[in-house]
Amino acid sequence: MTQAEIKLCSLLLQEHFGEIVEKIGVHLIRTGSQPLRVIAHDTGTSLDQVKKALCVLIQHNLVIYQVHKRGVVEYEAQCSRVLRMLRYPRYIYTAKTLYSDTGELIVEELLLNGKMTMSAVVKKVADRLTETMEDGKTMDYAEVSNTFVRLADTHFVQRCPWVPATENSDPGPPPPAPILVISEKDMYLVPKLSLIGKGKRRRSSDEDAAGEPKAKRPKYGTDNKEPIPDDGIYWQANLDRFHQHFRDQAIVSAVANRMDQFTFQTQTSSEVVRTMLRMSEITTPSTDPFTQPLSSNEIFRSLPVGYNISKQVLDQYLTLLADDPLEFVGKSGDSGGGMYVINLHKALGSLATATLESVVQERFGSRCARIFRLVLQKKHLEQKQVEDFAMIPAKEAKDMLYKMLSGNFISLQEIPKTPDHAPSRTFYLYTVNILSAARMLLHRCYKSIANLIERRQFETKENKRLLEKSQRVEAIIASMQATGAEEVQLQEIEEMITAPERQQLETLKRNVNKLDASEIQVDETIFLLESYIESTMKRQ
Amino acid sequence: MTSCFQTNNEFAHFSGRTNPMAGSQGRGRAAYTFNIEAVGFGRGEKLPDVVLKPPPLFPDTDYKPVPLKAGEGEDYMLALKQELRETMKRMPYYIETPEEKQDIERYSKRYMKVYKEEWIPDWRRLPREMMPRKKCKKAGPKSEKVKDMGKGASLTNTADVLKKIEELEKRGDGEKSDEENEEKEGGKEKSQEGDEEDDAAAEQEEYDEEEQEEENDYINSYFEDGDDFGADSDDNMDEATY
Repeated sequence: MTQAEIKLCSLLLQEHFGEIVEKIGVHLIRTGSQPLRVIAHDTGTSLDQVKKALCVLIQHNLVIYQVHKRGVVEYEAQCSRVLRMLRYPRYIYTAKTLYSDTGELIVEELLLNGKMTMSAVVKKVADRLTETMEDGKTMDYAEVSNTFVRLADTHFVQRCPWVPATENSDPGPPPPAPILVISEKDMYLVPKLSLIGKGKRRRSSDEDAAGEPKAKRPKYGTDNKEPIPDDGIYWQANLDRFHQHFRDQAIVSAVANRMDQFTFQTQTSSEVVRTMLRMSEITTPSTDPFTQPLSSNEIFRSLPVGYNISKQVLDQYLTLLADDPLEFVGKSGDSGGGMYVINLHKALGSLATATLESVVQERFGSRCARIFRLVLQKKHLEQKQVEDFAMIPAKEAKDMLYKMLSGNFISLQEIPKTPDHAPSRTFYLYTVNILSAARMLLHRCYKSIANLIERRQFETKENKRLLEKSQRVEAIIASMQATGAEEVQLQEIEEMITAPERQQLETLKRNVNKLDASEIQVDETIFLLESYIESTMKRQ
Repeated sequence: MTSCFQTNNEFAHFSGRTNPMAGSQGRGRAAYTFNIEAVGFGRGEKLPDVVLKPPPLFPDTDYKPVPLKAGEGEDYMLALKQELRETMKRMPYYIETPEEKQDIERYSKRYMKVYKEEWIPDWRRLPREMMPRKKCKKAGPKSEKVKDMGKGASLTNTADVLKKIEELEKRGDGEKSDEENEEKEGGKEKSQEGDEEDDAAAEQEEYDEEEQEEENDYINSYFEDGDDFGADSDDNMDEATY
C-alpha cells in the first residue's frame, strides 16, 4: 500500500469511526495480518479498546479474520475496501435513480451499518419513510420488502458469508473463530419472511406501546420481545454490482458523446449500447474483456418499448458502431443477422486514455495535448519527428516534451544501435505507457483527495467557534418558534450573529461545499482508472 | 531522463581524451559524453540554471482548473455526503476518544451529552477472543454462560478449581469490589501483553483477583489475622456503648 493510500485511509477511518478505530485500522493496513495481542502491544492501546475497534471494523467488512495453526486468530485489513467509503454517496444516489426512495434508504442503511438482517432493514426503512410522510400515513412493510427482493434479484445486495449450521453432536472444543462459508447459489436467496407491519413515527412526547420510555437508553441489536425470523442471515451491499453499473453508464455516455451529437431527438446509438449492456448484465461477469455475443435479432427484440426504429436502421447503427475506430462494439460473426460484442476492456482503455489526455490538456495546455495525442497514436517517436508531425517549433516542442516527461506522462525508450549502448548511437524514442501513466495519475488522485479532506477539516476547525455559536442560535430560535414567540424577539436573537460573521459563515459554507464536491468528482476519476488497471492486470 | 553516462570505452571514441575527469576540474568547458544534438540542445547554448531548492509549495499554474460539474445529481450527492458525515458521528460505531478528566465538572456538560444507541455485535460470527471479559455479576446469566463456553475448551482441572474459588470469593465480596474489579481489569490487561495463548486468560483473571486484593482496602480486613479487635476492649467494659 502506498503512503498516499494509507494517509487517505487514515483520514476516512477517522472521519467515520473516530480516532481509536483509525489507529487500529491504519496499523493493520501498514503491517498486514496480525493477532489481537500484537496489535494491542504495538499500538499501545488497551485490549478492550482494540476489541471494540476490531468489532466495528469487522462489522463494516473492512477487516477479515483467519484462524491459523494453534488456534491463533489473525486480523487483516482491506485497504481497497476502506477507500470505497468515498463512494458511498454515489452508491446511494444510484439506488435512488433505480429504485426510488425506498431503494435509496435500503442501500443507505446497509452501507451505514455494514451488515443487517432483512427484517431489521425493512423495519428501519419503513420507520424512516413514515417520518417523511404526511400525518396519518404510514409505509407498509410489504412495499419495502418488495423493493428489497428486487434489489437482491438484480444482485445489488447480497448475503454475507454465514456460519454453517453444524450438528450439535460435534465433539471436541469449539473453534476459536467461526469459519464462514459462502455459496454462489445462495448468495441472492431471499428468506421466506412474512413481514407484516407498518412504519412507526417516532413521537417525542409520549411513550408508544412498542417504544421505550424516553429516559431509558434504547438498545440496538437486541430486538425487543419477538424472536427474529431470519436470525443469522445478514445482507450487505454488493459494491461490485454497483461498479458494473457505473462502468456501463460511463460506456453509454461515451458512445452518446461521440455518436449522438448529431441526432437531435433520439439518442439511438447510446440506446443500442445500453440495451446490449443490459442484456449482458447477469450473463457476463464484469471482469470479462468481452460480453457474450448478441445477435442483431435479439437486440432488436430487447430494445425498450416505445423505441420504434426499424430492423434495417438498427443494423445500420450496429455496423456504424462496429466500424468506429473507438472499437467499443465489435462484430464477431454473421449468424442471426450479425453477432456483436461489446469490448469492455478496450472501452475501459479508451476511457482511461481520454482521462489522461484531458489531464494533460488542462495541466499543460492544448499544444502539449496535441503532442501527447500524437505520441499516443504513433506509439514511438523521435524528438525530430515530434516537431515535424506536430508542426510546433523545435524549442517549444522540446520544452513541452520535457514537462510531460518530468510529470511522468511520457517516457523514453532507448533503442541501441550498437551493443555497447553508446548514447551517440542510440535512438531515444518518446512513448506513452498507458498503464504506468494511469497508475501515476491514480496515485496523484489519492493525494488530491487527502489534501481536499485535510483542507476541509482545517477550514472547519478554524471556524469552529463561529459554527458552534450559529448552531446554538438556531437551536434557540427553533425552540422559541415552537413555544410561539413574537417576530421581534426572533429578530433580536438572529441579530446575535453580526453581519460580518454571517459573511464568514457563508464563505465557509461555500468553501466546504466546493471541497466536498471536488472529492466526489475526483472519486469518479479514481473509479475509471482503477477499473482500467484492474481489467488490464486480469488479462496478464 | 534515463541515464546515459557511460564507461571509459566510449570516451576514447568520442574525443580521444583519456582523462575522464578533465571536464569537471575547472577547465571551464563541460565535456559531454554523448551527442548533445540528440537531446535537443545546440552546442554552446546556455543551459537552464541549476535548481538549488525544492519547488514552491503552491506553484503558480498557467492554466486554471475547469469548474466543477454542476447538476441535480451532483447537488444531491453533495447533500448526501454531508448528511452521512453527520449521521456517522452519531452512530454507535463511532468510538469517541475518552476525554481527559476536567478538574471541575461543568453543569452544562450533563445536558449536552449525546445519547448514543448501544450496539452489540453478533458474537456467533466473531472470534471468541473478541468478547469483552467482564467480571460483573450484574451482566446476567447470559454472558456468564457465554464466557464459560468460551473458556470451557481451554481450562485445565486446576484452572477449574481456581475458577470456583474465584466465584465463591466474588459472591462473598461486596458490590463495590466488583466495580473496582472492572476498573482495574482495564489497567491490568495492559500489563498482560506478553501472553500469547488464550489459555493464559484464565490465569490472567486469577492474577487480577490476587493483585487487586492487595491494593484494595475494602476486601482485607483492616487488622491482621490473629488480632482480635472486639475481644480485648469488651473485657474491660461494663457499660453499654452509645
